[in-house]
Amino acid sequence: MSSIEHYFSTDWSALTGQDWAGLIITVLVFVGMLITFSLALRPSKRKELEEQKHKILEDD
Amino acid sequence: MDTTAQPQYDNGVVKYLTVGAIVFLVIGTFFGTFAASQLAWPALNFDIAEITFARLRVMHTNTVIFAFGGMTLMATAFYTVQRTNGVKLWSNSMAWWTAILFTIGLLLTVVSISLGMTTGKEYHEQEWPLAIAIAVVWTMYTFNFVMTIAIRNKETHSHVYVSNWFFLGMMIAITYLYVVNGLAIPVSLFRSYSMFAGVQDAMIQWWWGHNAVGFFLTAGFLAIMYYFVPKQAQRPIYSYRLSVIHFWALMFGYVWLGAHHLQYTALPDWTGSLGAVISLAMIIPSWGGALNGMLTLSGAWDRLRTDYILRFLIISLAFYAMSTFEGPVMAAKTVNALSHYTDWTVGHVHSGALGWVAMVSIGALYHMVMKLWKTEMYSMQLINFHFWLATIGTVFYIVAMWVSGIMQGLMWRAYDEYGTLAYTFAESVAAMHPYYAMRAFGGLLFFSGAVVMLYNVVMTIRMANARASKPVEATA
Repeated sequence: MSSIEHYFSTDWSALTGQDWAGLIITVLVFVGMLITFSLALRPSKRKELEEQKHKILEDD
Repeated sequence: MDTTAQPQYDNGVVKYLTVGAIVFLVIGTFFGTFAASQLAWPALNFDIAEITFARLRVMHTNTVIFAFGGMTLMATAFYTVQRTNGVKLWSNSMAWWTAILFTIGLLLTVVSISLGMTTGKEYHEQEWPLAIAIAVVWTMYTFNFVMTIAIRNKETHSHVYVSNWFFLGMMIAITYLYVVNGLAIPVSLFRSYSMFAGVQDAMIQWWWGHNAVGFFLTAGFLAIMYYFVPKQAQRPIYSYRLSVIHFWALMFGYVWLGAHHLQYTALPDWTGSLGAVISLAMIIPSWGGALNGMLTLSGAWDRLRTDYILRFLIISLAFYAMSTFEGPVMAAKTVNALSHYTDWTVGHVHSGALGWVAMVSIGALYHMVMKLWKTEMYSMQLINFHFWLATIGTVFYIVAMWVSGIMQGLMWRAYDEYGTLAYTFAESVAAMHPYYAMRAFGGLLFFSGAVVMLYNVVMTIRMANARASKPVEATA
């Protein structure tokens, strides 16, 4: 096993319930972040979002 | 129907919180300057238990973070949620109860700490009756804010402006962080013990501790930035989409950072590494947000010459960018090995607290004073004077702590040719003295600026009230 393979190797059978919970939450947060960013950055949404920034200049 | 009429808002409670925040800024920076002076000249504790450094320092942190910072957040949240949603507060009376109970809770916190009542948990020192009371008041604040957004006219205000997202994120995160970290078993009216023990207690403590920074002192004040920078500059925020990305990156990322406070401890090594990695990743959204605020001035940078309030807001973003770069670097294990437990950490905290949090707050408070009392400031020159006192004071403070902190860390780990420590701990303390004096001077400058602000605001309010009463006298 190369040093890189050794570094990234995981003994899956040794993971406890808490380890699995943490792993799943981490992956879900990462996926959630990707979805959120892609929703905010999609070109079709640009005009709708950027329009919002002008409204507060007239609020009082 | 008169469509040109100006909307009416509940301003009374916002006025109370605005003045309260400035009063607590003066008190809190006085405690800080006094505590800093005690480190340079220990005789200043006068052998009075209630004002020894150990208690005074905690009175300082609670006053500046929760009293000044908390009241600023309440004032700005109640001010902006009405204007961005075009509606009065859901409950003005609940807002008043929130403000008054919060004030009483914070005064009792400071008194109880001076009497030696503390949980010993950093930034969560209130004993259990006060902690429960503050949690209830915070929930009232959050509920009123949410309900105000909920009752907005969805036809005219279908979109909720991004500053409200930051406020709401802060409110929700602080509620669960504060409650979980405060879980304790009371053994008497003024004594309790944490439900967590050992390394779990430390992990929970810093999960709260760093997120008090991440949500209370960052997300909440970014809400202030996203409203008050465009308003004061009279220009829309540079990129709304970037503000959305900034918000979600902060919400997803910040909660993972706490473990970087516990590098090289009994905590599993991977948790510290995770904390450091996410800390470094957070540089990207933090700098994105800082640039978003600064670039709002694109094409109008000349306004910084004449608009002293805008100066406060923009320099706060420079400090925000600086401290959100410095923090992640200090979280990395290699740097942390040198910086941890030294004054460098104190310097870093104050570049964020004085440079970012206080400066953005001061800019927003000046802006609100003029709008709420419908007047110009008593003296714009005093604002300029305050700006320089605050900026030079902050620079003195953080430079002193950088130099002393790095020197301290290097002295602690210096070995001689025989492998023994080159310096005793007492020698490192003695070497700190000039920097402690310099830090106290920086703090004195910042405190003086706060006094100037209070004077200027009081005179402005008196001037506005006198002007408002004139027509009444004329017709009487």
